[in-house]
Amino acid sequence: MSLNGWLQISVFIVTVLLLAQPMGRYLTRVFSHRKTWLDPVLIPCERLLYRITGVDSDHEMRWTEYAGATLLFSAATLVLTYAVERLQHLLPLNPQHLPAVESALAFNTAISFTTNTNWQAYTPETTMSYLTQMLGLATHNFWSAAVGMALAMAFVRGIARRESKTLGNFWVDVTRATLWVLLPLSIVFSLAFLSQGVVQNFRPYDTARLMEPQKVTGLDGKTTIVTTQTIAQGPVASQEAIKMLGTNGGGFFNANSAHPFENPTPLSNFLEMLAIFLLPAGLALCLGEMVGSPKHGWAVLAAMVVLWFVGTLTCYWAESQPNPLLHGVDQQTSLMQSGGNMEGKEVRFGITNSALFATVTTDASCGAVNSMHDSFMPLGGMVPMANILLGEIVFGGVGAGLYGMLVFIVMTVFIAGLMVGRTPEYLGKKIESYDVQMAMLYLLIFPFIILGFSAITLLMPNVGLSSLANHGPHGLSEVLYAYTSATGNNGSAFAGLNANTHWFNYSLAIAMFFGRFMMIVPMLAIAGNLAGKKIAPTSSGTFPVTTPLFTMLLIGVIVIVGALTFFPSLSLGPILEHLLLRAGHAF
Amino acid sequence: MSDVLVLVSLVLLFALAMAYVLGCERLKGKQS
Repeated sequence: MSLNGWLQISVFIVTVLLLAQPMGRYLTRVFSHRKTWLDPVLIPCERLLYRITGVDSDHEMRWTEYAGATLLFSAATLVLTYAVERLQHLLPLNPQHLPAVESALAFNTAISFTTNTNWQAYTPETTMSYLTQMLGLATHNFWSAAVGMALAMAFVRGIARRESKTLGNFWVDVTRATLWVLLPLSIVFSLAFLSQGVVQNFRPYDTARLMEPQKVTGLDGKTTIVTTQTIAQGPVASQEAIKMLGTNGGGFFNANSAHPFENPTPLSNFLEMLAIFLLPAGLALCLGEMVGSPKHGWAVLAAMVVLWFVGTLTCYWAESQPNPLLHGVDQQTSLMQSGGNMEGKEVRFGITNSALFATVTTDASCGAVNSMHDSFMPLGGMVPMANILLGEIVFGGVGAGLYGMLVFIVMTVFIAGLMVGRTPEYLGKKIESYDVQMAMLYLLIFPFIILGFSAITLLMPNVGLSSLANHGPHGLSEVLYAYTSATGNNGSAFAGLNANTHWFNYSLAIAMFFGRFMMIVPMLAIAGNLAGKKIAPTSSGTFPVTTPLFTMLLIGVIVIVGALTFFPSLSLGPILEHLLLRAGHAF
Repeated sequence: MSDVLVLVSLVLLFALAMAYVLGCERLKGKQS
């Protein structure tokens, strides 16, 4: 670790915190239908959309109707993506003449992008046409993020409203999230990425003649001499912005944000990380503004920052360590080299920005990568996995992070109430048995899917284990990471796992589907129940949710729930691998 | 054929999710 590295990390988090408040206030104005400076342009567009689609923007929805609309919208857009993938060979903007996507892979990808996961069991530049990337996938980057924001707003209204049966209008929330938030920000960030050298074109791929022809031996043992290299192109900059802002993470290229056409410079890397945290940080403060307690928003954001810092510190420390198996190799940091574990990392990002990116992308549900998590040191690789296993509430996905955090807040307030022997209250709303049942359902579904699918996969040598590149605890981490990433709707890959098989395509698709929709439903049920309650006046027995004590208790509940659930599996994976590495074993 | 199976699977998955919504609502109704 170096002073330079810590300075870069400090500049990053200070920038996020400086932008969080204006972003939070802007989001509050957008979702409270207050005036914004974009209204003269966007209100006519909004009205036109409602007129075309027949949406009654004054109609208020109960939680069941809100959930139904979420499912209907997701189902319709999912089928559209599946159809585009299957028909891409017949559709325009396919200069490479790529064939139709195979059905299992198309099914997996359609669910992946609908659920904001963006798990990619394929190589985009050799599988998806430009039209599929734009119409099938990039559109979902907007829609799934807008759905996440709409759901978070529904939960916030559930807390803020008193004796109300409704949570707002799903179609209005999705429309406003897209028009007022995601589109303008995407334009700004796209232009910034273009300035850094991210490509944006519809050209066929370039072919370059190699200065030094390469001998390549294929799987059949035949050696061929390669004299040319194909350089993929495409409309990348426009997709890159929403990929990060919407915490989607699906790369235009297989190498994702490690590819020089997606993330060419340290500045573009900084902007990508900023784009990931910008909206989740703003949403935390938007919560405070909308419930009339800005300090509560800051208390929640403080919990996120503390958890982010612990993850960053651990990952940065682990990756800065020399690999103990590389005897006699200079791995110290100097002016000539980054030092530490540079396997799977880009030289232009070094240890600091690789470890920080890995932490940020898994704190949020982004899943973009600028380094290969599979090549991290065992404890460094454990950090991204642990971030997702905590439920992706450390900033979290756009909207999804906030509503996940709100479920943890319900549990925290409930536990605090048990401690002092009073009926728990959250901002004046009594937390009763139904709320806790739904919160527990939310918290239990997540490990049930991850551990269930991981266990089944590990018990099937011919189906699950045959896809592994590594054995031992590292192999366990690869399987555990895949189902963690899918269920948490993160989408980053640990790599080292061939996931483009029928078993993984279908099982991961189901994990992504359940990880999204089976968690949204109990969350909305809590919101609907809270909205109908009276707001009790604050008394001496009310647990304050604006203090450092609340922040510490919230962090404690998140860590204890995560550790009780997942420590046994982590101890058999990355922790065991770390201990064995120290003893001289590699996997 | 594979497309038909995928679409049937999707219908079943979303029907299950909708049933889950109704189940959660029913649980609330029973308790109140």
